Amino acid sequence: MNNNKSKYALLNASALALVGTMLTPGATWAMGGEAVVKEKCLACHTQTGNPDKPYSRISEQRKTPEGWQMTLQRMEHLNGLHLTSEEKQTLIKYLSDTQGLAPSETAKYRYALEQKPNIVEDVDPAYVEMCARCHSNARFGLQRRTEDEWKELVTTHMAVHPTLELHALSRDRRWYDIALNETAPKLAMDYAFNDAAWAKWEKAAKPVLNGSWSVSGFMPEKGDYSAVLTTAQTSKDNYSVTMVGHYADGSELSGTGSAKVFSGFEWRAGLTLDGVRVRQVLAASEDGSMMTGRMYQSAHDEVGGELKAVNGTGIVALTPSAIKQGQQTKITIKGGYLKGAVKLGKGVQVVKVLSRDADRVVVLAKASGSASVGMRDVSVGSTKAKAQLAVYDKVAAVQVSPMHGLARIGGNGGKLPKVKSTFRAIAFAAGPDGKPGTDDDLNLGYMPANWSLKPQNEVAAEDKDLEFAGTIDSKGIFTPGDTGLNPKRRMSANNVGMLTVVATVKEGGKAVEGEADLLVAVPSYIKRAIQ
Amino acid sequence: MKFTHTIKAAALVGIAGTVALMSGCAMSQSGDLNGMKGGGHEYLLTVTRPNQLHVIDTETNKIVRSCDVPGTFGQGTVEPSPDGRIAYVGTNKWEDVVGFDITNCDIVFSAKQSYDNVTVKSFVSLAVSRDGKELYTVQNPTRKLNDRYEVMEPQLAVYDTSAGLNAKPIRTFPVDRQITKIMAMDTGEVILAGNDVQAINPENGDIRILTLLQNWKRGDSWTQPDAFAMHTLGEQADEFILPYFTIKWNGDPGDMEKAEFWWGMSRVDLKTGEVEQGEILPFEFIVFNFITDPTDSNILYGAFNTLSKHDIREKKTLAVHNMEHTYYDLNMTQNRTIYVGGTSSDISIHDPDTLEKIGSIKLPGDQSTSAMRIAFLK
Repeated sequence: MNNNKSKYALLNASALALVGTMLTPGATWAMGGEAVVKEKCLACHTQTGNPDKPYSRISEQRKTPEGWQMTLQRMEHLNGLHLTSEEKQTLIKYLSDTQGLAPSETAKYRYALEQKPNIVEDVDPAYVEMCARCHSNARFGLQRRTEDEWKELVTTHMAVHPTLELHALSRDRRWYDIALNETAPKLAMDYAFNDAAWAKWEKAAKPVLNGSWSVSGFMPEKGDYSAVLTTAQTSKDNYSVTMVGHYADGSELSGTGSAKVFSGFEWRAGLTLDGVRVRQVLAASEDGSMMTGRMYQSAHDEVGGELKAVNGTGIVALTPSAIKQGQQTKITIKGGYLKGAVKLGKGVQVVKVLSRDADRVVVLAKASGSASVGMRDVSVGSTKAKAQLAVYDKVAAVQVSPMHGLARIGGNGGKLPKVKSTFRAIAFAAGPDGKPGTDDDLNLGYMPANWSLKPQNEVAAEDKDLEFAGTIDSKGIFTPGDTGLNPKRRMSANNVGMLTVVATVKEGGKAVEGEADLLVAVPSYIKRAIQ
Repeated sequence: MKFTHTIKAAALVGIAGTVALMSGCAMSQSGDLNGMKGGGHEYLLTVTRPNQLHVIDTETNKIVRSCDVPGTFGQGTVEPSPDGRIAYVGTNKWEDVVGFDITNCDIVFSAKQSYDNVTVKSFVSLAVSRDGKELYTVQNPTRKLNDRYEVMEPQLAVYDTSAGLNAKPIRTFPVDRQITKIMAMDTGEVILAGNDVQAINPENGDIRILTLLQNWKRGDSWTQPDAFAMHTLGEQADEFILPYFTIKWNGDPGDMEKAEFWWGMSRVDLKTGEVEQGEILPFEFIVFNFITDPTDSNILYGAFNTLSKHDIREKKTLAVHNMEHTYYDLNMTQNRTIYVGGTSSDISIHDPDTLEKIGSIKLPGDQSTSAMRIAFLK
């Protein structure tokens, strides 16, 4: 048996199971979580007799639902645990409700839960080489353990990944001693098991997330969208979900699905949206008035974008969110059930209301040539929102988001598809000081741009990365090259590469450019719930 | 059993395997080399996936024989016995050692190091005493308890090479963590490449420092050397060679503009235990492994994306040849033919003076991290 293949298959199947596990609608709870712990976990773990930490090891850790999912997968993979789908759901729910993370504890690392690509982390030097040379900071930053448990984690690493103390950045130091006696105690301070935030959140009343939500978001290919998300509680922490709305180009969006809430605020929903399975990973605010996060295609988690939902009626965002002095343009005000007159602020006239839907109001707007540069509050009837629309004189700078993109070669008959990378251009006006790149710049939001690529450095030019690594389309979506050896390349290398993505926005006959790095990397063969 | 193995090998290696099949059918006798040449004739030994030991005649550059190695592919470590007759192979994900008679693929030695709830890994560390009577590994044990693991102390394990197919350590001695490649010397000691380069007396466990690496005190102007001890090499020149990478700060530590990047090496004479250590070349490109020219200790060859030739006294690169793909490992016969292997399923053969490619050996599977050692068959 090819061990690597089987490992890949196992982990990949498990990762898919995660999606299924959390989203199976209408699951019945034949056994309580504690009963499953006793029946399944105590085959190996023991009861300590200490009511503060009743189960060996288990009781001294707190994790996100994805974190507990990974723990259960590891127990299945390494230790022969057998769980039914129902038992697994019960355990993840029980453990993340009773030993989860508070909203504030997850805030810094939500991108990992959201499967957001293209994140460059700022890691504490104490962890850069000891932990983050293999893991994202989010992987350990989304766990809370006692010092003993952080030390047990080091020990587990030594047993399960015995060559890790020989890796580059391990073999030049006494890795095990440092991990055990320096890193683990620091982790126990920085990511402490006992934390006031969790103690408070555990006792707090959790919001019920029923109702109609005004939604604004972005999906690659389709673009900005607005929608009304209707949620109905089917049982405690379980919801049926309907989402209906429009993309900015006017095409319709609709889907239904279900959601489950973990730890009192972790919203995980699966929907079929216009025939495509998508997943929402959102965090509800502590008062339940808002949910923010990301929605992405289940089969291609890199194909997704931010989603913001406001409970009830509200102006969530404008597309576009800027208008030039003297310009007449169509503006979509994204928000649910907006009624009444539209006001776009001083110097911006609503020429005509073009359409009104449950999820949006589309207007034709005109900014006077003398309208002052700056942000405008927007209102529709009695619904108001601050600083939603920018009036600007000219585009002075363009920034590409993300600044550091990551795509992965794939396809070509292999097991893994290509992983694309989506770029957007954010425009800025210079602000009162007339200089772009300073603190008073005015953010004009996302703007259409012309997209192009160039080699990132001399090596990339020499290796002809531009020719082989992939292409970018008019929407800023980069599609990488095929996986596998390429006999046309030097040393038959595969189609990896280092490129620079260039966004060009035309401004008064001039071109304003922004650039971002793009790494076209090899496939990622192991898919984890938290990378 | 032997017959089945040989047929499988034959199917895999095609024409070369037919030779192996015929050879395998012949009953070998003690002292009979089964058609192979003695008198110090050089055979190249390497391992490919899924898990086969290949014996290659360096005169014909053909596979003479392919032996199925029990267990899952490990790291492909190979250690020839001093008489060249036995090839000890590390297998089963770093856990087991199996010794083959290379004239007939018979398994003459086997040691399973893991036991009960203890998993024992040996990372590359596999050596045979200079008289061939003892085999050494560095064992890294971990114990699996009910709900946790225990990290146990590493130890040098000494085996009697005549112990047969269920060999157990006859002596063990504590050693440091992070030890990878090891080699036996005429002094009777075993070189341990780890944080520093040490020598252990396998009779009593006494350890002495041969040369310092992690604990090398050169002040703030040098970074600690990073030695990548992944492939055992050196039999062609009767030496142990361990390259390292280091940085010299000519400005403030971390000031890359003023920094110098260096390859260095620790090289031990297996006859005397004498050590040379120091910088040998400016770092201009990655070299995975270096070997010494058996006729001139001043000349080194290195392999990775390039095959390169260096004068270490002058700290100069004499020639560079771009390879068709990445290779990890290299070796050289006494007549100075260079073999470059590892990673993929071919061994590239090169001229030592021009570095031009002069031949190739197609293997039935990928070498991955495997060693490429020379057995001098007596």
